[in-house]
Amino acid sequence: MKWIPFLTFSAVLLLLASCAPLQPVVQEPTPSSGNSAVIALLGTAHNQSSSGEFEAAGASLERALRIEPRNPHLWQELARIRFNQGQYREAENMAAKSNTLAAGDRYLRAENWRIIGQARTRLADYQGAQAAFERAEKEK
Amino acid sequence: MAKKRSTSKKKIFFLFVLIGLVIGTVTVAYLDSVVRDRFEGKRWKLPARVYARPLDIYPGRKLTPSQMIAELALLGYRETPQPREPGSFHLRPRALELVTRPFRFGDGLEESRSLKIMFADGRVQALQNNSTQSPLQLVRIEPALIGGIYPGKNEDRVLVKLDEVPQHVMDALIAVEDRRFYSHHGLDPRGIARAIFATASGKSVQGGSTLTQQLVKNFFLTPERTIRRKLTEMVMALLVELHYSKDEILETYINEVYLGQDGNRAIHGFGLASSYYFDKPLTYLGLSETALLVGMLKGPSYYSPRNKPQRALQRRNLVLDLMEKEGFITEQQLGAAKKSPLGVIDRPPRGTSPYPAFLTLVHRQLQRDYRDEDLRSEGLQVFTTLDPQVQLSAEHALSNRLELIEKSRKKPAGSLQGAVLVTSAQNAEVQAVVGDRDPRYKGFNRALDARRPIGSLIKPVVYLTALQDRKKYTLATKLDDSPFVYRQAGAEDWEPGNYDHEFHEQVLLRDGLIHSYNVSTARLGLDVGVSKVMVNLRRLGVERALPEFAASLLGANALSPQEVTQVYQTLASGGFRTPLRAIREVLTADGEPLQRYPLNVEQVIDPASLYLLTVAMQDVVREGTASSLEHYLPAGLDIAGKTGTTDDFRDSWFAGISGDRLAVVWIGRDDNEPTGLTGASGAMTVWGKMMASLNPEPLILPEPDDIQRVYIDKATGLRSAQGCSGAIELPFISGTAPEEAVPCGRGSVKKSFRSWFERIFGQ
Repeated sequence: MKWIPFLTFSAVLLLLASCAPLQPVVQEPTPSSGNSAVIALLGTAHNQSSSGEFEAAGASLERALRIEPRNPHLWQELARIRFNQGQYREAENMAAKSNTLAAGDRYLRAENWRIIGQARTRLADYQGAQAAFERAEKEK
Repeated sequence: MAKKRSTSKKKIFFLFVLIGLVIGTVTVAYLDSVVRDRFEGKRWKLPARVYARPLDIYPGRKLTPSQMIAELALLGYRETPQPREPGSFHLRPRALELVTRPFRFGDGLEESRSLKIMFADGRVQALQNNSTQSPLQLVRIEPALIGGIYPGKNEDRVLVKLDEVPQHVMDALIAVEDRRFYSHHGLDPRGIARAIFATASGKSVQGGSTLTQQLVKNFFLTPERTIRRKLTEMVMALLVELHYSKDEILETYINEVYLGQDGNRAIHGFGLASSYYFDKPLTYLGLSETALLVGMLKGPSYYSPRNKPQRALQRRNLVLDLMEKEGFITEQQLGAAKKSPLGVIDRPPRGTSPYPAFLTLVHRQLQRDYRDEDLRSEGLQVFTTLDPQVQLSAEHALSNRLELIEKSRKKPAGSLQGAVLVTSAQNAEVQAVVGDRDPRYKGFNRALDARRPIGSLIKPVVYLTALQDRKKYTLATKLDDSPFVYRQAGAEDWEPGNYDHEFHEQVLLRDGLIHSYNVSTARLGLDVGVSKVMVNLRRLGVERALPEFAASLLGANALSPQEVTQVYQTLASGGFRTPLRAIREVLTADGEPLQRYPLNVEQVIDPASLYLLTVAMQDVVREGTASSLEHYLPAGLDIAGKTGTTDDFRDSWFAGISGDRLAVVWIGRDDNEPTGLTGASGAMTVWGKMMASLNPEPLILPEPDDIQRVYIDKATGLRSAQGCSGAIELPFISGTAPEEAVPCGRGSVKKSFRSWFERIFGQ
């Protein structure tokens, strides 16, 4: 029964980790897109998102996704939006989608696994969250 | 006595006056209720307006000048040497100048802008603000109006709001029909005087009516020309003016007036007339077209532009002259408009929307969230995903190919039917729906409602289900394709045969799919389990319960093209299911956001198994049953696809995925008779022709991490090496590739030491 306090501790840690709203990562090793229209829409989405207009931000990202449907950065941003809207199941799926398109971009994938971990925590799937955070560490 | 008599005379006189007043008041009150009833009944129902997707323009976008011109034509933009007015453009070599119209989207107003678009190599090379010459990243053109959802059962009404009506319509009406419309109170004394004079001199009983009086006249069912009717109309006109504003009266007039006859169908209102004569929404009518319609008011059949073009032209030019005289248009405008042809289309369109099949899909999706009554009356604005360019390509490909197939195979003309659906591969937005070879036909919508056996289109689901059992199946697993009888108690024996009437002994799993072998697929499916395959089919997107039997494995179940599209959508988007979406958002009549339909995805298939399947589906096109697609599209596109043919060639299917789109095509006959077509000789040719005109993106699959590539001997499925004869490179989920190897070179049966060792000691 020694592991019970440990589990409780990690569950608390997980909860703490997922309390803050998801912010876009500041420094990114790869540019999000080579298309200036997509960059512009991403900027709009960031602004809308930081003033709490998540639905509008989602619409801007969807518009960007029509231009670059296979851009994993856009799917990841959409995952953050869904998370901030409290739609954790959707956030998890969006981040998984980003992962399937992000072959080779370990940085992006690590971030996706963190989003998945935080979403699962909110959904009270602590084991799943733990596994996701471990994947995030492995990607690094 | 005399005095008494005079008092009683007075009394009788007053009594008559009183009775007269009472009768008068009652009559007016009655007329008032009639007026209000009729007026409100005509007015307060606004159909939902349905828009196509707006065109986003940005540097790098695939777009040719001719595609851009086609888009502008849909929006009724006019070519002028110096575009200044919103809604005008000028095409130069490799560049296009245009002034957009302002438009209110869900996320705000897109202002009118003066733009210059430069083209190169089939793409937008640069985009700039034409007034400041500064570069622009992204501009959105207003979406084309593609139809409405109309009140009542009679959909032959295209109600318009005043703000959609071009100013020219109002100007022309006022110039021609009622110059003092904005200053009178329903009656125009000068006009009446003129009419009385004309009547007295025996010329005519008509004339002198204000727009208000003409509108009131329409409230009656019978045309009657008596003094009594005329007086009633005058009272009613005064009452209408008392209750309603000039704009309300004008709007109702524009929606109500009679403008022609199509058999037993009366053409009422400028909205429907615009569609009937010009096949475009009223908003997009130009000056000369507007003048023609207003001119016809005097006598729609006498001035019919289809039957009496010369007479109609003279009348139109008279209207234009009057507009110039009243100062509504300039001399230059007059000159230009007079020179333009009538512009009336030869045959009236069959319905009011050019895309009835797509509109039905939109209507059904809306009905999940809205009461039908609200859709038909609240003036909602519906923004859809329809891409008119894709839609036109799909329509042309289907009707052209069916005609050619009928000719070359000596089939009765018109005997074949078909359906096409096109979606964006990752977002599941429906870009085109064709439900009949005559795309304007608003009848049975085969894309949504024709349920047909899907034949081999089921096979990817069977193979996917097998590949998900990683320990047991890989692309190189050997399958038995020798003669096979499936016996089940209480059911007839099932003896599937191959399309080529041969058996192939041992084949690799990938070959079963690539060459669409029925026998090996049936064995594989039974081994995996019919119910497991059917569970996957539901997981991929079929929402109905389907009967399960062994023949389900070869596509005996009937699905609609829409259902098939939903299933393949999940395959196209990497195992993420997204319900097909035809609507992006709904705004109220005033432009307030009401509802968005956001993009969401759900992962239902693991990426690695799906990757293996998709690679095999690319090989279907590269070397299998769909290899003749190369007659339509270059091989480098790596299209993934599957053909489907049902018993006796009754149904011809093709589903295919490019880098940007998924499209499903069905061809068959409404009476379910054989067509003689396979999936490849029928549906696939439509697919190829359509995609060729859409310049598709190549399908580049992102490789999941746990995939390794191994050289395999094509004949034995054992490990080989690069450069060996018969070796092909195949993807495997890590650790599942065969270890037993064949020596490099043909015909050798020696096995490697390791596999010998394993066989000795048993695994």
